[in-house]
Amino acid sequence: MSATTRGFTRRQGPPWLPYLLTLPTALVVLVFTAWPTVQALYMSFFRQYLNIAKFRTPTFIGLKNYQTLATSPDFHQVLRNTAIYVLGTVPMSVVLAFLFALLVNRAVKGIGLARLGFFYPTILPMVSAATIWLFFFTPDYGLFNTALQAIGYHGPQNWLSNPHLALLAVMIVAVWKNAGYLMIFYLAGLQNLPTDVFEAADIDGASAWTKLWKITFPLLRRTTLFVSTIAIIDAFQVVDHIFVLTQGGPSGASNVFLYYLWQVRFEEQNVGLASALTVVLILIMLAITVTNFVYSEREGA
Amino acid sequence: MYRKRIVFVVLSLLLVLSMALAACGSQATPTAAPSQPTQAPAQPTAAPTQAPTQAQAPTQAPTQAKPVTIEVYYPVAVDAPIAKILQGYIADFEKANPNIKVKPVFSGGYGDVKTTIQTTIEGGGKPPALAVMLAADLYDLVNADYVVPLDDFIKASPDGEAYIKDFFPAFMANSEYDGKIWSIPFQRSVVTLYYNADLFEEAGLQPPDSWQSLAEAAQKLTIPDKRWGIEWPSGWPYWLFQPLAIGNGQNIIQSPTEVVFDDPKVIEAAQFYIDLSHKYHAMPEGVQKNWGSAPGDFAKGAAAMIVHSSGSLRGILNQADFKVGVMAVPGKEPGTYATVTGGGNFYILKNVPREEQEAAWKFVQFVTQPKYAADFSIQTGYVATRQSAYDTDAMKAYIEKVPQAGQLKDMLQYAGAELSCMNLGKVRNIFHKYLQAAYNGQMPPAEAMKQAQQEADKALEMFK
Repeated sequence: MSATTRGFTRRQGPPWLPYLLTLPTALVVLVFTAWPTVQALYMSFFRQYLNIAKFRTPTFIGLKNYQTLATSPDFHQVLRNTAIYVLGTVPMSVVLAFLFALLVNRAVKGIGLARLGFFYPTILPMVSAATIWLFFFTPDYGLFNTALQAIGYHGPQNWLSNPHLALLAVMIVAVWKNAGYLMIFYLAGLQNLPTDVFEAADIDGASAWTKLWKITFPLLRRTTLFVSTIAIIDAFQVVDHIFVLTQGGPSGASNVFLYYLWQVRFEEQNVGLASALTVVLILIMLAITVTNFVYSEREGA
Repeated sequence: MYRKRIVFVVLSLLLVLSMALAACGSQATPTAAPSQPTQAPAQPTAAPTQAPTQAQAPTQAPTQAKPVTIEVYYPVAVDAPIAKILQGYIADFEKANPNIKVKPVFSGGYGDVKTTIQTTIEGGGKPPALAVMLAADLYDLVNADYVVPLDDFIKASPDGEAYIKDFFPAFMANSEYDGKIWSIPFQRSVVTLYYNADLFEEAGLQPPDSWQSLAEAAQKLTIPDKRWGIEWPSGWPYWLFQPLAIGNGQNIIQSPTEVVFDDPKVIEAAQFYIDLSHKYHAMPEGVQKNWGSAPGDFAKGAAAMIVHSSGSLRGILNQADFKVGVMAVPGKEPGTYATVTGGGNFYILKNVPREEQEAAWKFVQFVTQPKYAADFSIQTGYVATRQSAYDTDAMKAYIEKVPQAGQLKDMLQYAGAELSCMNLGKVRNIFHKYLQAAYNGQMPPAEAMKQAQQEADKALEMFK
């Protein structure tokens, strides 16, 4: 890369030109990414409650905030919930997205309608989607419960306030909302696949199943990497529906990382603890992305 | 290849970082509206006994030559065209005060307004001069240094004292802290028991006057799979729970630094709520996430009674084809009743030029005049905040037509204080967590309330 850059500058302009051109981006990253990260890290070593007059001025307390987190049952519950949420929604969304893409990638009459149907939830803002689902989930006569009953379900109906079902309910909404969006990437990937390998496979008499697993899927490996990274980040980031559906309840049963962070920062106004949470979140995201990347690179090499 | 990989790793790290941070940054916005579903309507206040011209009285800033523009942040928490109603009042106000322009900003629910103001002030920006925020948020708002006391404005106003005295004491209860007045009641509500009077009559039942008769009526009016005897939302449970505790003689809030969760009477109140479903089978089991659907269920006959905000009165009356009864929640002992106030007040913000604050105060006085307080109550279902609003002809005529509106006001005599204390967000989260655990049968009520007390005491310790 550096070689290319040197060649480029030699031909095209002064040596500082590349720096100048990347300056705006670098500035944005510095101001909106690097600086807040440093700030969060710094503030996480302080005690600061905005709603307590005597603690409004930050006091250095070392690792106390991290200690609080480590011993907080609430935080442990949030971590557990978040793990279930991510491990549940991400693979499900990705698999569904792949299947949807396979399905709508055919030139069948009326496929436009199916594409629209799969993609439609994506266009809705999450809050609107969640509001619709709030009605779906209504006990006794909500669409969701009515549909479940039609296929023989007779369990509890108050999904959003049942401690064993609330998290599952918000996960269902997330998958419903996300799968169509991720489908787009797979669809683009599918339509860019080279046709010659498939022709060769046809000549060799490969079955449709073999072609799917031995050719299509491996060729879409990069797409899968991209899609799963996006899905993971989304799973950590998007909590709008929780505000509408459960407020993290009942008794914290559907509370996940970012919602908890919001509660600590804006409801409890505990800046130090919220900063520590932010640092933990960043570390988790870094770990996931690096693992994801290194793993897939190694496999590809 | 190796170097390229390094670059790629670094780039993707940056990407992740920026996304993580974007997540942190964006969290502020989506929260507001839905997070505070409980507070319903409030009642507007009326001006004191004097004529509605009082607010226009030129006592303050008599020759205000320089035009002032103020912003008012305002939540829409009920099913009423609040924006339109307020814009009408603003037009009247600007006509009477040509030097002042009022810019209303309707920004979601109560939570949105508070979060927006919080982030503005903490970011060093200029907040609006005026905002409607939860009455119960008083301590957090004052402690965080977001709002200014109103005593100077009140003193500078003619009849300032009479003006304050005219507000119902139950509504002013959330305005005083540290010997000062910090907010003016505006859209205020009370917890209300709505009952289907036609069904009661058919069944030969009297309106309930005790826990026992409430439970029995609910049981009698339940038809399995068709109609609940009573619906009592508990997705955001503290507000609708409070009448039970108060009705048993023990409110959960004692002082700004003292909550009472583990008193036997409070535990008994939680047990009564559970009994309504477990013992009487007259109410959906466990936590009920039906704040939004309960009024509709009631209006179409799927619930014989509901406990809800007085602010839902208007919507229920519009839909119901039967006689709607309203009353305070019966207490444990026969003949006792209880309710609790809720809703939003006007707060004047810090970090705003003095002339804007003065203009904001003028506007507050203007829209809380009896005339507008009465009109706001009639149009929204919020309880009017001042006695004199009920003395206006418009209000008298309305109560003639809709007697329930008058009954809501009469319920104020049974009103206890809404849960409002230091560190409210934290304390409320704790209480919700354990009350819901009790409702859902995850913990016995006594144990849940004991734990809630311990954690809340710890959260309040820092203030003592």
